[in-house]
Amino acid sequence: MKHLLITLALIVSLPLSAQKGLHINDIFKGKVVSRQEMREGIMRGDNLAPYKLNVLHTASFTGDEAERQLADRLFSADMKAYIADDTDMEMESRGGFLYYAIVQLIDTDSGLHRYICYQCKEKAKRFDITVVYMEGKATLADLRKTFKKK
Amino acid sequence: MTKHIEHLLSRYLDGESTQEELRQLRQILSRSEDLPAELLPYREMFALLDKKQTVPSAEALNRFAGDKLQRLKGKSMGKKLALLLAAACIAALAFVLRTSRGSEEDCAIAYVGGKKIADRQLAMQMGQEALQEIFSNENQEQQLHDIFNTQ
Repeated sequence: MKHLLITLALIVSLPLSAQKGLHINDIFKGKVVSRQEMREGIMRGDNLAPYKLNVLHTASFTGDEAERQLADRLFSADMKAYIADDTDMEMESRGGFLYYAIVQLIDTDSGLHRYICYQCKEKAKRFDITVVYMEGKATLADLRKTFKKK
Repeated sequence: MTKHIEHLLSRYLDGESTQEELRQLRQILSRSEDLPAELLPYREMFALLDKKQTVPSAEALNRFAGDKLQRLKGKSMGKKLALLLAAACIAALAFVLRTSRGSEEDCAIAYVGGKKIADRQLAMQMGQEALQEIFSNENQEQQLHDIFNTQ
């Protein structure tokens, strides 16, 4: 019974564990700006099948310079810590700060690709920041093809 | 006298005494007033053996047997019930975990202003917008890839 419970608990926690440990989780948890000030989308499963994704977690908010710096620092920390060796990534800095980045992380054991994305647009000394975590079979080229505005 | 009692006792304990010897032994042990202390336990033993045993009536025996049977049935029923309950609990737990896992896997939730909105379309829209915003950014290298169709 005990073993059964442990096994079930492990199975249940699996989908959540992939994102665990990332620094950007602090953004999703509302540690940069409160969750009241954030727009957050969490999608898992069949909803994402057309995009060859299993998990899509997005957070958008408008923050001040301090909040931008914190978000930037958290994203950069993940970029350095988990970036896959043999992957292509996109990154651009504007005005001395990270403007946008799409980074593939080290693959999970299940063979899925993991990505983190970041965008920061300045608007009258405020910053519109978007952070994304994705997981699935989609390659970066697939995602670009699917989501790039025509 | 004591020697005689000891002799009778010895034959009794060896299972060799006759009915007459046994009758004598009972009589001496029960009636003798100056019985040596070491022979007193034998007097008590025979007194106990001679005590009339109360035999339960057939009705009482039946009732006892019936009660016992009922209790045994109850016990086995209780055990079965406990096993069934345990199985039901495991099944319910597995169902709940499976369902909750399913909902975790197939979820589409949006949080706006700190409020949870279980709206699949809104969540999808937010996700798509965020990704379109990000993937529509292009650095120069990517623009070159797109122009020359090298990726």
